[in-house]
Amino acid sequence: MGMMARLLRTRSGLIGACLLLVMALAALAAPVLFPGDPLAIAGPAFLPPLADTAFPLGTDSLGRDVLAGLFHGARASLAVGLAAALAALLVGLVVGTVAGFAGGWVDEVLMRITDAFQVIPRFLLALAFVSVLGGSMTTVVIAIALSSWTEPARLVRAEVLSIRERDYAAAARVIGMHPAEIAFREILPIALPPVLALSAIIVAAAIMIESALSFLGFGDPNIVTWGSMMAEGRNVLRSAPFLSVVPGIALLVTVLAVYLVSEGVNTALNNNQAVPRG
Amino acid sequence: MSHFALSRRHLLKGTALAALSVPFSTFAMAEDGTRRLTVAADSEPKNLNPAIVASNGVFYIASKVIEPLAEASFTGADGLEPRLATAWEGSADGLSVTFKLRDGVTWHDGKPFSSADVAFSALEIWKKLQNLGRSVFANLETVDTPDALTAIFRFAKPTPFQLIRNALPVVTSVVPKHLYEGTDIATNPANVKLVGTGPFRLAEYKPGEYYRLTRNDAYWDKTAPKLDEIIYRVLPDRAAAGAALEAEEIQLAAFSAVPLSDLARISKVPGIKVISKGYEALTYQLVVEINHLRKELADLKVRQAIAHAIDRKFVVDTIFLGYATASTGPVPKNAPQFYTADVEAYDFDVAKANALLDEAGYPRGTDGKRFALKLLPAPYFNETRQFGAYLRQALAAIGIEAELVNNDSAAHQKAVYTEHAFDLAIAPPVFRGDPAISTTILVQSGTPAGVPFSNQGGYANAALDEIIKKASETVDEEARTELYKTFQQKVAEDLPLINVAEWGFITVARDTVENVASNPRWAVSNWADTALKS
Repeated sequence: MGMMARLLRTRSGLIGACLLLVMALAALAAPVLFPGDPLAIAGPAFLPPLADTAFPLGTDSLGRDVLAGLFHGARASLAVGLAAALAALLVGLVVGTVAGFAGGWVDEVLMRITDAFQVIPRFLLALAFVSVLGGSMTTVVIAIALSSWTEPARLVRAEVLSIRERDYAAAARVIGMHPAEIAFREILPIALPPVLALSAIIVAAAIMIESALSFLGFGDPNIVTWGSMMAEGRNVLRSAPFLSVVPGIALLVTVLAVYLVSEGVNTALNNNQAVPRG
Repeated sequence: MSHFALSRRHLLKGTALAALSVPFSTFAMAEDGTRRLTVAADSEPKNLNPAIVASNGVFYIASKVIEPLAEASFTGADGLEPRLATAWEGSADGLSVTFKLRDGVTWHDGKPFSSADVAFSALEIWKKLQNLGRSVFANLETVDTPDALTAIFRFAKPTPFQLIRNALPVVTSVVPKHLYEGTDIATNPANVKLVGTGPFRLAEYKPGEYYRLTRNDAYWDKTAPKLDEIIYRVLPDRAAAGAALEAEEIQLAAFSAVPLSDLARISKVPGIKVISKGYEALTYQLVVEINHLRKELADLKVRQAIAHAIDRKFVVDTIFLGYATASTGPVPKNAPQFYTADVEAYDFDVAKANALLDEAGYPRGTDGKRFALKLLPAPYFNETRQFGAYLRQALAAIGIEAELVNNDSAAHQKAVYTEHAFDLAIAPPVFRGDPAISTTILVQSGTPAGVPFSNQGGYANAALDEIIKKASETVDEEARTELYKTFQQKVAEDLPLINVAEWGFITVARDTVENVASNPRWAVSNWADTALKS
């Protein structure tokens, strides 16, 4: 039974995956449904939701379409979330595998570096990085990756430490395989599943960090993100609360969906043998 | 576990203490009958001496304690009313100005005020240390004090009396000689523990919490002040000021502490009034700064195209929600002494802008774009940032792709005024009553890098420089005013920068506060006539 099928048979996994699918479709459809710059001034300012069929969710303080911003914001949020999580996972997997497999002083050095990154609060590290290098899509992704790679690194190392003592790893050594080949082709794939469950949490955290950076004005001002929409809406929170609430709900749903998927992956992994009843 | 509980109890106790340490009644009239006005303050200047730091943040608090020679006025001759000076007159050659000083004025420490204090403040502080005085009094040579109530300013070169007069409210805060003489003025403790002649004394300052000013019973105007106390509650969060007004924790918030977008709502709250008067002499200007070292922007046609691409009506109505006026040139409309409407006008005309860019030789590429620019909006105001977002769209409509770069204040000043790392920037310079004080520097060439709010875009126009220089030495008022009218025409014609809009601040106050906005610099004047309805 495939991993995906197992995931979808858990209730949380199914709900999460469906929600994520909707978000992904919205992100993909954004340039088709709302061609042009979502930051363009499209109509009168401060149009409330449902007042004009052309702007179902209303317009913001400059007259920009909130719905268009929401769809394009999904692109930015998901893209940053996935890219940052991918980068963090890659770094984490390499560091964790090398540390766990090589052991000795290599392990010591890599783990102390990991410690050093781990003691700095995640968001502050990202904030410091972006405020020095300036807000652009790339720096935001790097900043988030930089603050998120330590957990997968530790997890992978722990897995690798236990796996490398098993018989088939010893057998691979006996037949003269290169250590790097053993580490990355024999051991890493076995160590991977628990990291996958973690990856969803990293994606969720990445989306949150990106939104928070944009909210504080450290994001890329040339693209629309949910965080920047909320930051703009905050100034008029009492007269036009929908401007903050709408992107806030989108953010909430997305992060919730990612957590549900992660929950589902966990359940699916734990119920590996039994039929999951989720 | 018990350790945690203990620390939490400590924490709670600390919070309770903090709450108790703001002991002021939220009502205008305290139980003991004190007439107390509580207002919002959004900053706590490190140096509170207005003779050294002539800025609105300092004046807001210090102008109640330390007075200038004259204050701006809606009705007085030349827009002035007397404070520490009762009369002023410039000589025909522009080499001297005579001030008659007020009799019977004492400092808050009981010592008498005299012309020696004025001479000391002028020569040692305004001329040498003050941000604006350094240029206004650059040629001040001596101050003669023939008697205790006369001060004669003597200049090395002819200095226009018109300029001195217009600068009086801002640059002439008088501080006591006996506390400053023979000390290091910049670090003198009196820069924080102010001693002045004003209607209020600075009684107490608690960093992060409040300033407390109390009535000066020995004030020279026996009918004033009409309040016993002014409390400045430090509320750095903009959203907090509106809520505090509604809860009657404060009675007044000046300098647009309540955001523009909240005014429509708060003006409907019973007992609260929104006042847009009282800032006529503190006009901020929304300006697009241009880097003329950029090849495309050195072309006048491109600058004209950008000027035509900006919808000033949209800027005024949507960004400033009507609380602003469209600009025609570098002098604002509410400076009638100098303003002229007879300048080149740039209507909102996208087709014309596109035609101008085609003519200039920058056709649209296959993607519809002509060229790309870096746009740096100043971060000081919500409105400057919003205008940045708007300008990016306005430029997109004429095929110019603008990339917004957001910086914090320090990084923005460095990027624009020191490193020239911008193509277009958005600045909010202030017009301070006379073009020579802080306006001509925006287009004049030859200012060294690093001077904020100056021409750092590499613009150099010999004809304009000549007009500016001539005006700075022209003593005759009419001739000088004419020169500044020509200055406005030349700037509008050649567009070293683009003036978009001009705005003043908004005061929001409870109905009980009386005589708000009684002069054109009200928020930074002495509040001697401000009263509370009982």
